[in-house]
Amino acid sequence: MSKTYKHFQSERDVISQAAEKRRNLASWALTAPALIWLIIFFLIPYLIVVIYSFLTPDIYDVKFELSLDAYRQAFNPDYLMTLFQSFRLAILTTVLCLLLGFPVAYFIARAKDKTKNTLLVFIIIPFWTNLIIRIFSWRIFLAYNGVLNDMLINIGLISQPLEIMRTDLAVILVMVYVYLPYMILPLYSVLEKMDFTLLHAAMDLGANEIKAFFRITLPLSMEGIFAGSLLVFIPALGAYLIPQLVGNQKTLYLGQVITYKIKNIPRNWPMASALSLTLLFFVAILLVLLFTLYKRSKSRRIT
Amino acid sequence: MEEIRIERISKDFDGFVAVNDVSLTIGSGELFSFLGPSGCGKTTLLRMIAGFESPSNGRILIGNTDITDIAPYNRQVNTIFQNYSLFPHMTVFDNVAFGLRIRKTPKSEIKDRVGEMLALVKMEDQAAKYPDQLSGGMKQRIAIARALINKPKVLLLDEPLAALDLKLRQHMLIELMNIHDAVGITFIYVTHDQSEAMSISDRVAVMNYGSIVQAGPPDDIYERPNSIFSAYFIGETNLITGEVTGIEDDYLQLKCPDGAEGFFEIDSTFHFQPTVGKQLTVSLRPEKIALSRSKPRYQDDINMLRGTIEDILYLGSHTQYIVRVGALKFRVFSQHKRVYFDEKALDWEEQVWLFWHDTDTWLIDEIPDSSLGNKEQPDTGVNHFQRSAKRLTQV
Ligand SMILES: Nc1ncnc2c1ncn2[C@@H]1O[C@H](COP(=O)(O)OP(=O)(O)O)[C@@H](O)[C@H]1O
Ligand SMILES: [Mg+2]
Repeated sequence: MSKTYKHFQSERDVISQAAEKRRNLASWALTAPALIWLIIFFLIPYLIVVIYSFLTPDIYDVKFELSLDAYRQAFNPDYLMTLFQSFRLAILTTVLCLLLGFPVAYFIARAKDKTKNTLLVFIIIPFWTNLIIRIFSWRIFLAYNGVLNDMLINIGLISQPLEIMRTDLAVILVMVYVYLPYMILPLYSVLEKMDFTLLHAAMDLGANEIKAFFRITLPLSMEGIFAGSLLVFIPALGAYLIPQLVGNQKTLYLGQVITYKIKNIPRNWPMASALSLTLLFFVAILLVLLFTLYKRSKSRRIT
Repeated sequence: MEEIRIERISKDFDGFVAVNDVSLTIGSGELFSFLGPSGCGKTTLLRMIAGFESPSNGRILIGNTDITDIAPYNRQVNTIFQNYSLFPHMTVFDNVAFGLRIRKTPKSEIKDRVGEMLALVKMEDQAAKYPDQLSGGMKQRIAIARALINKPKVLLLDEPLAALDLKLRQHMLIELMNIHDAVGITFIYVTHDQSEAMSISDRVAVMNYGSIVQAGPPDDIYERPNSIFSAYFIGETNLITGEVTGIEDDYLQLKCPDGAEGFFEIDSTFHFQPTVGKQLTVSLRPEKIALSRSKPRYQDDINMLRGTIEDILYLGSHTQYIVRVGALKFRVFSQHKRVYFDEKALDWEEQVWLFWHDTDTWLIDEIPDSSLGNKEQPDTGVNHFQRSAKRLTQV
């Protein structure tokens, strides 16, 4: 009795194993192109960066002599200060995007279907124009003799033009402008799915609008806040173009420093590589930290 | 204790009147139902009591306090929402504790009272689970516990059983009645299901088009409907129109066209004073009519009609017969008690006698919508009056 059963069992195992093999093969075949692409254009260049960071700089290129000088320099106070500046800018941009983006996402999510689509198009429209062109139009807008100053003087709010261009304020303004859609869209997608009668339920149980927001809406949009913050924070950390085009050239951000190390002669490839990797290292730590936090808050749910 | 007074409440959505001049007093501790077809304004009325919708007109009072303009979170009213609306990111315990935490109740008291509430709804062992791990019936119980823990003066229930399957629905209905008895607060229950409303309520208000058609104890509405709508919406009935031809002491005669060329006469007691020549509608419940092959012995308070069996529907506990009299069709329920009539079961196309007591002929001072014509689709098994009433319920 039990023997035939076992026999049957093992035969089934063989069949399902074969099926599984086939399935594995198919999924490999389907992922291979993307995988090869990533290996050639992502992994290998990164390997080169890692190798370069351990070499010695030459005027234009590198000398193939192993050295830890690049890292030693990367951790000197000047560069750590630059790293700190970059983190500060990224955090400030993320927080401002969140504070400005949340009400917008909430409003769109609660709008009627027709209005909703129109508003979403407005959020996406900026992507149709090249980033550099948009930054240049900000320069025209913020310039000493620019549109903003003209307007403010005309309505009599100020008598002297304001120095906004080439300040940290200009950097923040443009950063928030560029990254805001990346915050709004993921927030919108969670808020759109949220059941708003839950807010009625909370109010029915004695919570006023503010308490209902902090106890219901906010926790239920955590996923979107998390996704949006990552989408803003990580690119903001490596920001180069915006500080370069509208910032003052006294406070340098890491993205700029890395570029200078490659652009300006004598070049310092190892230094640029080491700085990139340091940045990557901090981002990785941050991500791991956030993911564990996020996972813990989720796994508490799916017991 | 305090009663709830609804005084001339109306709600207008941009010209569409969802609730139309409703006035009612609901006694303290009562289990009161609003019953009506979908779209008749039940939810809107309930939302006004909860505070989520402000009335266009009228006032709502609990005891002597006018709550019309009080925010929902400051009313001692709690709601069981149509789809429960449990907070998905909180455990059962946290869901139930929500109202207490908002009011900054001490931790130890929260623990005790949540425990008590979970015991009341028999969910003690589910405290650590999340709503998406619960079945519909369990969610329902948690929603009840979450509302009752705030010791509201009134609990509002909006079609609370609509999402459950039949067996569970019957079970939860009894459970709800037990909970109502245990806590003793006023329940206002909204449903479109007449059997639910009938079985659970102390009193029922039948609604149509935003107005209350009739309010009273379930048996009162069933036995003494004041309108074609109540008669048709609660239970099943035969509706016949006729003209008063004579009135004597405590009964009257009606001459009823049979939809073909002829007519028949029936006797009835009456509960309002009609005049000879007046057009009336008769509601005759299918279970009040008896069927027999042989002519019943004559009694002067029995109505008798001759008809033909057109359809037989075996329904387990009883059989439904459709009996044709002229062009009218009567629905008759007959229980399977062969003790009294030890005869062969009735068959299709057989000639039978229908008979019922005069007092079961219930008069309604209203005639159905005449625009439907007299003999509309006579083949569907119900009288055209029933169809017109049905039409009322559908719109
Ligand atoms: N916010 C609203 N705006 C416009 N019309 C509404 C609104 N809420 C409900 N209605 C309308 O009012 C009527 C009554 O709705 P409701 O109270 O939900 O009925 P019920 O609960 O009895 O099914 C319906 O015709 C509905 O379309
Ligand atoms: Mg409803």
